[in-house]
Amino acid sequence: MVMRNRAAWLPWALPAIVLVTVFFVAPFLLNVRFAFSSWTSFRAEITWNGLENVRTLIDQELLANAVTVTVLYAILCMAIQNTVSLSLALALQRTSGINTVFRSAFFLPTLISPLAAGYIWRGLLAPDGAVNSFLGVEWAWLGEPSTALVVVAFIDAWKWSGLITLVYIAGLNSIPKSLLESAIVDGAGLWTRFRRVVFPLLAPALTFNVAVTLVGALSAYDVIAATTGGGPGDHTRALNVVMRQQWGQGFFGSASALGFTVTLLVIATAVPLVWWLRRREVTG
Amino acid sequence: MRAPSRLLGAAIGAVLALSLSGCGSSAPEGTGQVKLTLWHNSADPAPLLEMYKKFEKQSGHKIELVSIPSDGFEDTTQTKWATGDRPDIVEYHATVSGLLALNPAENLRDLTGEAYIARSGDLYRSAGSVNGKVYAAITGFPQVFGLYYNKKVFTAAGLTPPTNFAELAASCPKLKAAGVTPVFESGGSIWPVQILPILYMAGANQSNAYGKAIAGHSSTLADAGSPFVSGLTAYAKLKADGCFNKDIVTAKFEDSMKALVTGEAAMVAQHSDMLPALLAAAGGDQKTVDESVGFVGLSSDKPLVTYAPGPIGTFYLPKTGDAAREKASLDFVRFMTGPAYAEYITASKTFPVFKDVPDPQGVSSVLQDVKKAYDTGAVIAFNSDIPGMGGLAQLMSELIAGQKDPQKAATQLQGQVEQAAKAAGLPGW
Repeated sequence: MVMRNRAAWLPWALPAIVLVTVFFVAPFLLNVRFAFSSWTSFRAEITWNGLENVRTLIDQELLANAVTVTVLYAILCMAIQNTVSLSLALALQRTSGINTVFRSAFFLPTLISPLAAGYIWRGLLAPDGAVNSFLGVEWAWLGEPSTALVVVAFIDAWKWSGLITLVYIAGLNSIPKSLLESAIVDGAGLWTRFRRVVFPLLAPALTFNVAVTLVGALSAYDVIAATTGGGPGDHTRALNVVMRQQWGQGFFGSASALGFTVTLLVIATAVPLVWWLRRREVTG
Repeated sequence: MRAPSRLLGAAIGAVLALSLSGCGSSAPEGTGQVKLTLWHNSADPAPLLEMYKKFEKQSGHKIELVSIPSDGFEDTTQTKWATGDRPDIVEYHATVSGLLALNPAENLRDLTGEAYIARSGDLYRSAGSVNGKVYAAITGFPQVFGLYYNKKVFTAAGLTPPTNFAELAASCPKLKAAGVTPVFESGGSIWPVQILPILYMAGANQSNAYGKAIAGHSSTLADAGSPFVSGLTAYAKLKADGCFNKDIVTAKFEDSMKALVTGEAAMVAQHSDMLPALLAAAGGDQKTVDESVGFVGLSSDKPLVTYAPGPIGTFYLPKTGDAAREKASLDFVRFMTGPAYAEYITASKTFPVFKDVPDPQGVSSVLQDVKKAYDTGAVIAFNSDIPGMGGLAQLMSELIAGQKDPQKAATQLQGQVEQAAKAAGLPGW
């Protein structure tokens, strides 16, 4: 049965496989060598230099901080977005006029360019900006090391939560009503119904959302560039921010090594995570 | 079936022919007129843009302007350059470090021997040239870095503007007591925070002595007590003494201009190409700017301005292999540096780089201050000839955030200089 199903869906998957191969796998394989090359803007020759770029990035104390910031930022984005989005999905699950308005309102930031979103929030969160005026405080939200990374993660969450919410709503609506009714008949309260019925059956949506938010945040650049530019100091200097800086100085080999690091991080994080979440879908 | 196939073939042929003709960037055959691509800085002032139009009119060639945003100008140019894309003309930094990053021997046409070079005095000794070959056509007056100050604030406080770091430090408490931010720094824009340390180092860089020592590897930035470490230490002390604005980490350079014009801040370390931004901060009112803002030179111990040939009006001609377009792009350089240049100076109200072109009339008082300070004592920015200094601004951000001390920042930057100098194959590395 499984074999026959596979044979049936393979033609449907083929376009996606071709697209991923042509636009992702092939460019990656063709370009990965630059991460191990002496490529700079200063000379024409590009030679193999092994791990020299990585050594340089470590010597200049750029790599370890960038990896730490990136991973921390990704975890924050994933946690904030999924918590906010799941709560919103539960609140807006029922299709009604008012809920449709709210769903649209929460979805709107998804349509805004990440750079524009970043610039808007930078203005709002400036020490003399609207947020501080409203709260009656004087705080450089994006300029203080203690708050900058968390605030940028919240901005990213504001930007993307609408989309993640829609996926959760779709997941919630696919749960058979009969199961929930049976649980009610069995005397299960709201929390028990969520924990024992809703959450386990949301597993496919959770897999998709956790993977998408985490992987997306690992390759973060735009929102950070528009809000803090990597500052204060190097507190929000994620891998792609350093990559851009290296590139701008003409150190293309080092920049490629940073790009390769992002790819490795994504593979090392996403593959086991998706495997574990998929397994949970079956056994859970 | 055959007719549609033929039609399809003809259509594909037509599309291919159209797209191929588009690729060649050539105007109608036989006219000798071509289309030139010019990558230019989005901050090019209106009189310079007008010069491009005048060249089109005079030569019959077309110029396709590709605007590179001035915010992130170097990164964007490098990104396009790295793809192998080559315009006919590129506007870029005239500093040796900027030029090295374009790999001139490989990619740029040698302009040595062009008439404008002899008319430019010593300019090409320190800019636009590598290994005795001139690659640049510099038409813009160098960016002059110094201290803008609010005249009214200083008069009210009974002070004269500082011209060395000891005076700068001494003026801080008095200005703070008067309720004014002594120096407004713009860490939100990142690059402006490197200006004050560079000004400090002018004291040690007469005849570019310090810059040459670093570029030639006879000294390092991290040497104990080096001008670089001293400059960063002086900066850190100013910060510790509360001389800077509270929002130093987030403030943008536009904020600094506004604070200066309104008198909220007493001083801003900036360069002369910021005058349009200063005017914008004053709502376009030149009278307000002239009445309230002045400019002086500042270094560790004497009144010196620091200059750096800027990207605005500095042109390079990449090798394209297309004889007609290469001839036209050389015509462009000869036009920009030829008789029309005097009109540009009159229209732009900036100072000429050619000895035979007179200064313009009706120059604003701030720009007159800039020229006066430049004529009194000017030193080239110490980092002009040193590749790999692009990380200085980022390190200053870390210094401001208290993550790095001056010595550690110097050691890290020296590593970046070494990386670039070796890649550029500089002698001594």
